[in-house]
Amino acid sequence: MSATADFAAALPRVLGSRTVQRGVLGMVLLVAVWEGVARGFALPAYTLPAVSAILVNIVDSWAVLAPAASYTLTESLLGYGVGSLIGIALAGLITLVPRARAAILPVATAINSVPVVAWSPLILLWFGIGIASKVVMVALAVSFTVFLSALAGFDRVDRRAADLMRSFGAGRLSVLWRLRLPTALPLIAAGMRVSTVRAIIVAIVTEMLGAYDGIGWVIYQAVLQVDFVRVWSAIFVASAISLAFFGLVSFCERRLIFWT
Amino acid sequence: MSGALVASPASRPETMSLALLAPLWRFARGLFWLAVVLAVAEGLIVLFGVRPYYVPRPSVVIGAILATPTPYVQGFLRTLSETLLGFASGAVFGIGIGVLFFRARALRELVFPIFIVSQTIPVIAFGALVVLWFGNTLVAKAAISFYLTFFPVTVNTLLGLEGVDPRQEALMRSFGASRFKLLTHLQLPSALPQIFVALRLASALALVGALVGEWFGDTVGLGVLLLQGMYNENVVAIWAAIAVCALLGTGLYAAVSMIEKWLVFWGAEQ
Repeated sequence: MSATADFAAALPRVLGSRTVQRGVLGMVLLVAVWEGVARGFALPAYTLPAVSAILVNIVDSWAVLAPAASYTLTESLLGYGVGSLIGIALAGLITLVPRARAAILPVATAINSVPVVAWSPLILLWFGIGIASKVVMVALAVSFTVFLSALAGFDRVDRRAADLMRSFGAGRLSVLWRLRLPTALPLIAAGMRVSTVRAIIVAIVTEMLGAYDGIGWVIYQAVLQVDFVRVWSAIFVASAISLAFFGLVSFCERRLIFWT
Repeated sequence: MSGALVASPASRPETMSLALLAPLWRFARGLFWLAVVLAVAEGLIVLFGVRPYYVPRPSVVIGAILATPTPYVQGFLRTLSETLLGFASGAVFGIGIGVLFFRARALRELVFPIFIVSQTIPVIAFGALVVLWFGNTLVAKAAISFYLTFFPVTVNTLLGLEGVDPRQEALMRSFGASRFKLLTHLQLPSALPQIFVALRLASALALVGALVGEWFGDTVGLGVLLLQGMYNENVVAIWAAIAVCALLGTGLYAAVSMIEKWLVFWGAEQ
């Protein structure tokens, strides 16, 4: 399952320094081609609206999009926090009480063997279409990834270092706090960074099945009204919050974990 | 593997049959534990009197599937074909683009950021558009699976190709290997373990894509069954659909892992 870790490790490496300029150039080219194709072939909005039309629509419907975005962001952040805590706590519990591994690991694997979106109808029935169901879904999606990376991190500790601390009379808890947690933090942070985009996508997916507000709800309404420029506006906004969230977590990661 | 190589010819058939039996044995053991877990769950639900609205007894769920197996079998096959189509095309595209990016650095730097941004688009919003573009067809669902599959495969192909030992490359070059030979005989095989890490992850994502794609007004499929269960507030039906989804997801994962064992016989990346 180091796929997530590799995945996360890949991003900064692939995004080198000089690459930024070319990346921006690529984006500009994409927007230009998109605009050109949409305008040039006079494509109808349901096929592909022009970028400029989408941007204008974002500004026009800001009164709808901004509250929806903050609603979705609240759900995602709450679920993200809860899910990360659960994941780290479970991994810590397994490390402290090795016996618990036999009970927790199979249950976690079984829950995770179901594709996460398949849980959403059930969670919506259980927790209603308010904010609670989205928080639960995001927590569910985030906790497993963080759990796996935290477990891998805790297990990565050099046995000799742990034995040394033990020989000086450190208890299990002390070894966990002073040795295992600092060693595991880079991996935990990588798992959390990968989970950011996932958190927002899961919140939006759950919103589309039933909600009072949020980006997913806006998209659903727009699809029903066959307003595809609005769909694209919501997609742009969702993409922007995902990137901002990802950037924020990466920034915190670099600030907090200075020793790697 | 080393055991098989060292073994004397007389003992080889035995090793072979053991190697064939091992997965079967593991499968049987898995089934046994699944049965135990289901029995324990059944006992706990009866013991604590959990209301069927939350968690119905496993026997009721299995009974519901057996009572009307047709929609579940049809849904399973439909979702399976969507997932496989999307997964296969995504894997091929991902590996191809990975190789292309490896070869053409400028192209990678131009296109890679767009790929990253594309992955922040909520799949379900994309679903609405794709269904509009392709109509309500199998291809539309496969397109969403494809969209979720290709990115991790591209990233890990690139990582694997870049991780090749430069001394091995230099050695092959010095013997006059062409760039194509280098790719097929050294770089791709070295990258395979990394690629399979991504393929295992992508098998789960491809299934998610197919399920979500079916939410846009299809009539057959596991995603449809989930949605119908929700609208009818039929918790047993939802659990039944979830169970079939888990079966499909686990089966895909196991299939990819088996291909990995067979292809990457020198040891997989964890």
